[in-house]
Amino acid sequence: MNINPSKIFDVYQDRNRLYTINLTPKQSFFQERLIKKGSKEFREWDPRRSKLAAAILKGCHNIFIRKNDIVLYLGASHGYTPSFVSDIIGENGYIFALDLAPRTTRDLVFLCEKRKNIIPIMADANQPNLYLDKVCQADIIYQDVAQRNQAEIFLKNINLFLKPGGYALLAVKARSIDIKKKPKVIFNEVRTFLEKHTKVIDFKTLEPYQKDHAFIIIKNV
Amino acid sequence: MNMKHLFTNILGTFVFENNQLKDQILFKDLKDYLDKEKFEQKLTKKYKKVFEPKDKDLEFILAFFKDKKYFKQFYQKNLLLTKQQIKQSVQDDNLIIQTISSIKELDRLANVLIKRLREWSELYLPEFSKSIQDQEKFIELIQKKNRKQILKELKLTEETTMGKALTKTDIDEILALAKQAASTYQLRRKQEIYLEKIMKKFCPNILELCGSTIGAKLIEAAGSLKRLATFPSSTVQLLGAEKALFRHIKTGAKSPKHGYIKEHLLVQNAKEKGKAARALADKISLAARLDFFKGEFKAKQMRKELEKKIKQ
Ligand SMILES: C[S@@+](CC[C@H](N)C(=O)[O-])C[C@H]1O[C@@H](n2cnc3c(N)ncnc32)[C@H](O)[C@@H]1O
Repeated sequence: MNINPSKIFDVYQDRNRLYTINLTPKQSFFQERLIKKGSKEFREWDPRRSKLAAAILKGCHNIFIRKNDIVLYLGASHGYTPSFVSDIIGENGYIFALDLAPRTTRDLVFLCEKRKNIIPIMADANQPNLYLDKVCQADIIYQDVAQRNQAEIFLKNINLFLKPGGYALLAVKARSIDIKKKPKVIFNEVRTFLEKHTKVIDFKTLEPYQKDHAFIIIKNV
Repeated sequence: MNMKHLFTNILGTFVFENNQLKDQILFKDLKDYLDKEKFEQKLTKKYKKVFEPKDKDLEFILAFFKDKKYFKQFYQKNLLLTKQQIKQSVQDDNLIIQTISSIKELDRLANVLIKRLREWSELYLPEFSKSIQDQEKFIELIQKKNRKQILKELKLTEETTMGKALTKTDIDEILALAKQAASTYQLRRKQEIYLEKIMKKFCPNILELCGSTIGAKLIEAAGSLKRLATFPSSTVQLLGAEKALFRHIKTGAKSPKHGYIKEHLLVQNAKEKGKAARALADKISLAARLDFFKGEFKAKQMRKELEKKIKQ
C-alpha cells in the first residue's frame, strides 16, 4: 500500500484508488475501507458511488474545495460524497447539506450527528427562497439533484449563494433531463446554457465510473 | 438615503443599515424561529420603515452570516428543525406503502416456503401433496393429519405409496416448516385487513374504486398520495409498467399499454381492454384528487358509471 498526496488538496491516491483522511477515526458510515498509516487514518472513496471521486479520476486538476471552506451541497442524499467533502474541508469548514427526500435525509441526520461540520437541511433546491434563512453565503456550491431542470436550479443557487469568485460543481445526469436524447447532446446543451450565464472552466464525462453522467465546474465571475 | 433592511433567519431577526448590523434579536430556540413574526413585529415597530433586502443587499447579508461565530447555531437549529420536518413528513400514505411492500414480500416469502415444504414432504407423502392444489389447505392438513389417515383417505397402503416412512424427528422438521409457512400466510392476511382499514380512513375513494391491493400499489408506485393526485390519467395508466416503459424508450421494444390497473377485474373482464383501462385510469385520477384534498366520497357513483361504460 502506497498512499500519497494526489494533485487535489487533501485527497490522497494509490494508483486508481482515492482516499481522504478520516475526520472521525475508526468510524465508517458506508462500509468504506479504513486504512491506518502512522497517525493517520485513510478512508477509501469509491468513484462508482461518488461523482466527485469519478471526476477526480477522470482528470479534473482542481476541484477547488479547500480546508475551512463553506460548501452548499444540493442533493446530499444519504451523505456519501458529503462525508468526503467533510474530510477535505476539515473541522473548521462547514457543509450545508440539503436534500428533499425525508427517507434519505433521515440517514443524513445520523451522519451529521457524528460529523459536526455537516449541517442538514430538508428543502427543495428549486426553491432557494425557502432555505435562504437557513444558510449563509458559500465558497463552493456542489449540486447533484437528478432533476429535469438541474441546470436552471444550479444557476439560481449560484446567483443567490455563491460568493464572487467562488466555484460551483455540477454533476449532470443525462437520464433525468431526457431519456430519449443522446447523453452527449444533453451535456452540450447544459454546457452551452451555463456558458451564457457563467464561466465554465472544466468539463468531464464520468465513464466508466458513472454511466451517462458529466461533471461541470464553473467560476462565478 | 439610509435604507433599513429586516432579515430573519434561523438564528434570529436582524436590522441592517448601510451594510452594518444595527439591531438584532437572537432566537433562543427553534420555537422562537417558528414564531418569528412576533419578533419581526417588534423590530418593525421600533424602526418604522424597514425593507426586505434584495439583490446586492441580500448578498451582503448572506455574506455577513458567513462567520465562524454563527456556525454552531446554524448546526444546532438546522439539525433540530430537520428532525422535526422528518417526523412531520410521516403520513398515512407512508404506512400504506410500507404495508403493501410488506404484503408483496410476504407473498414471495410464502411462495418460497411452500415450494420447499412440498418438495420436502414429497419424500414422505408425495401423493398427498399432489392431491391438494390449494396451498393454504395443504399447509393446514399436513399439520393436522398423520400418515395413516392420509394413506387411507387416498386409498393407498405402505406398499403402494412412493413415500418413505420417515422417523418422527424427520417429520417434525417438516411440520415445523409447515407451521412457519402457515404463520406467514396469517401475517399476510392480517396486514391485508390492516391495509384496508387505513385506506378506508385515508383514501376511501381509491379503496372503493380499486380495492386495497391495486390501490395501494398505485400509491406505492407514485411515491405518495399527493403525487398520485397530481399525475395525469395517462401516467396513472402506466404505473407499475415502468420497467417495460423504460425498455421501450431505450431499445424500442413494444411499448406497454397499462400497469397495475390491468389487474383490475373491470379491465380483465372487459371486451375492449384498452378502452376499459383508460376509463378506469380517468376515474382513479379523480378519486386520488378527491382523497388528497379530503373531498367527498364519490367512488360508489364513479364505479357505477364505469360499469355502465365498460360493456363486458
Ligand atoms: C444522485 S442522488 C445524490 C447523491 C450524492 N450527491 C452523493 O454523491 O452521495 C440525488 C439526490 O437529489 C435529491 N433531490 C432530487 N431533487 C431535489 C431537489 N429539487 N432538491 C433537493 N434535493 C433533491 C434526491 O432526493 C437524491 O437524494
